[in-house]
Amino acid sequence: MKNTKKRKIALKKDNMITREELFKRKEIFHAEQAKLPFEEKIHALVRLQEIASRVKGNAGNKTVWKI
Amino acid sequence: MKEILQALNELKNNKIIDDYAIGGGIAALFYIEPFLTFDLDVFIIPTEKTKCGNLIILSPVYEYLEKKGCSWKGEHIIVGGVPVQFIPADGLEREAVGNAKEIKYEGIKSKVLTPEYLITVLLRAGRKKDLEKIEILLKLTDIDRNKLGDVLRRYRLSEKFRRLL
Repeated sequence: MKNTKKRKIALKKDNMITREELFKRKEIFHAEQAKLPFEEKIHALVRLQEIASRVKGNAGNKTVWKI
Repeated sequence: MKEILQALNELKNNKIIDDYAIGGGIAALFYIEPFLTFDLDVFIIPTEKTKCGNLIILSPVYEYLEKKGCSWKGEHIIVGGVPVQFIPADGLEREAVGNAKEIKYEGIKSKVLTPEYLITVLLRAGRKKDLEKIEILLKLTDIDRNKLGDVLRRYRLSEKFRRLL
């Protein structure tokens, strides 16, 4: 089985990373998001609710907090 | 959000409830990255006078909020644009409320379940989405493992927790 961890991915012209690095960056991103102030998280939640209300159509949950 | 927290503090200050703490998805959101959820779960400790045998009467809570202009949508009461569900605390949740973390949201004081109690409450509920949140909480939050172990043991959830790992 080929080792895909070291396979490189070109993000941009001069930005090459391995799959391993890509997933490591992803984890750092999640950890940073978790550290956001509560207020910012609530605003992010409302943005997610707005997106969900648009993509789900009439059958979905249309709840968007009016904060 | 500010409005519901103010209302919760008013309910406590006016002795309509003894205490409260935010639980569920919004408590999880306090500790982990933003994810989609639609309502706010609030664990409340009712006052002695609202207990009538096995019955807990929440009407004083709802009447107070209705007087402030809050309306109903299904099983939720909408406070300041946020659908809220009040859950009278049982033994575990009562302990969780008593040990909840004090927070501030836009200058308003409030309380959120600690990650250790949140994990225990979610584990007991045991739905797929609850277990997913536990996994993320364990990964992204500093958990006091001794405290968690103690609560899990006392509520006979240690084995269920071990199976999850």
